[in-house]
Amino acid sequence: MSRKKNYSQLAGVLLVAIFAVAVSGGLAWSMGSRVPVVGAPAEDFRLVDLEGKPQSLSQYRGKVVLVNFWATWCKPCTTEMPAMQATYDKLREKGFVVLAINELEDDAKVREHIKQHGHTFPVLMDRDNRVANQFGVFGLPVSVFIDEKGVVQEYIKGGLLTEQLILDVVAKIQKHEPMKAVSLR
Amino acid sequence: MAGKRFILGFILGVASIASSWFTGQTAQASCGAVTCFVVIGSQQQVPQAGLLTFNTIYNYTPMRLLDGTTGVIPAIDQHDQRMILDHHREIRTITQTATFDLNYGVTDRLGIQVTIPYLWRTHKHIDGLGEENGGRGELVPFKDNGIGDVTFTGKYNILPTLRSMIVAGFGVQVPTGNTEALDAAGHTMEAPGQLGRGQVGLIGSLYQTYELIPHRLNQFFYGSYRHTFRNNDGYQFGDEYNLNLGANGVPLESAPWLALTGQFTWRYLVHDNMSASLERSARPGDPGFPGDPIVLDPTILNRSVPNTGATYFAFSPGFQASLDGLIDSPLTKMSSVYFYAQLPIMRDSNNNLAQGTSYIFGFTRSFQLTQSGS
Repeated sequence: MSRKKNYSQLAGVLLVAIFAVAVSGGLAWSMGSRVPVVGAPAEDFRLVDLEGKPQSLSQYRGKVVLVNFWATWCKPCTTEMPAMQATYDKLREKGFVVLAINELEDDAKVREHIKQHGHTFPVLMDRDNRVANQFGVFGLPVSVFIDEKGVVQEYIKGGLLTEQLILDVVAKIQKHEPMKAVSLR
Repeated sequence: MAGKRFILGFILGVASIASSWFTGQTAQASCGAVTCFVVIGSQQQVPQAGLLTFNTIYNYTPMRLLDGTTGVIPAIDQHDQRMILDHHREIRTITQTATFDLNYGVTDRLGIQVTIPYLWRTHKHIDGLGEENGGRGELVPFKDNGIGDVTFTGKYNILPTLRSMIVAGFGVQVPTGNTEALDAAGHTMEAPGQLGRGQVGLIGSLYQTYELIPHRLNQFFYGSYRHTFRNNDGYQFGDEYNLNLGANGVPLESAPWLALTGQFTWRYLVHDNMSASLERSARPGDPGFPGDPIVLDPTILNRSVPNTGATYFAFSPGFQASLDGLIDSPLTKMSSVYFYAQLPIMRDSNNNLAQGTSYIFGFTRSFQLTQSGS
């Protein structure tokens, strides 16, 4: 067998070895992505906000919570944020809160974006992608509506939030009307 | 021929439906892996549900002899089931391929893909060594163009997360390519020179990507294995093993529309196999040279074809420019162009033609056919 062929086969083996290391690293960091079932309790999480204060989902028990997964580079995410801000302004005194969970970006960049757009709702930093995996998020944005008892009531993928849609969903939840079964994923 | 017309009609039909649909729709609703990851070559991924990705890829691939090789190979006469050793001297093959690739997300994890190659192939070799022209053979050019073997692939995203993705695929290659084209001398071109393989092929694949720096740098791996069954002419193309490992990166934060890519490719092709008798060309010193080939074994047996099979290792630098990010127009939504060159590092061509530096241009456009949501 020629030396050239030996080198070539070695190159193939090396590629496989590097791939195996990359995959095992990726798996260790990112396994466990599951979409929550509508009607089931949302799993609690604990993250720090932009001020460095720890916040958890359970501390908002008794309020309707819109958990929104987003990033500054995601156009559909930033497009729907003004609607989130508008409803937050309208309903924050009526038992509604927005938790905007940023994915994998650094604080300075997120802080600049939030300041520039004048958002006042809490922004939490999911630095290791853990909470996104917990909520089965593998595309942005994703919005999860959670009722006063901590039960998932709506799971929305894609940049579909409008002010009216948020108002309607919150009103339904607060009236305890059943949600669409289609949200089961 | 009717099959080819149908496939061309299908491509044009899908393209026109997608184009007309697009004019009445708004932009994408979410950043799925295909639209927002830093990736090049979205055809390996599973698009988000309802997203149709249309790739058009042009590939220029020259094949020439390596230094120190003679290019003397056997002749394949698939119709008469004869393999004649040392009967051809290869000179050059140029293959240009336009690949139309449709990739659709049935769900967020399950995708289907149709890959339709259209090929233009020119080939030159000296035919009839030991026979014609005082044993020196004669130049016989060949050219053909048409649809190659179409591949249908089902893909499943095993690991859907924001940072990583592992996609397992299973494809079936159907024998839509021509296997009966004639060379300039009026003989059926040998099987390896034809546009199609003449029989069904099965392809297993695995694609993995991980965002090392979110939205700036990702690594990817693609591995595939192809097995093609023996065709009706008794010719079986050798199995193909293919490994790619590379990275894509956005070098400038201020220009997120530009991504650079680099990848290593390793490909190993097993010898082809043919049901044939075995002969060899007459050599100087043989009685009656120049003359008819000498029969070594008249029995029709499955025989490995010498000088087929190859190992190839290459590096491919390139770039992708997102037209969506560069030009703000409805015409450029979810569109990008890419280019890369494949530079050989090591080649073992088995005294046959070896793939030279090849160039790939691509255009990708995605259409959100159904809205994702709750």
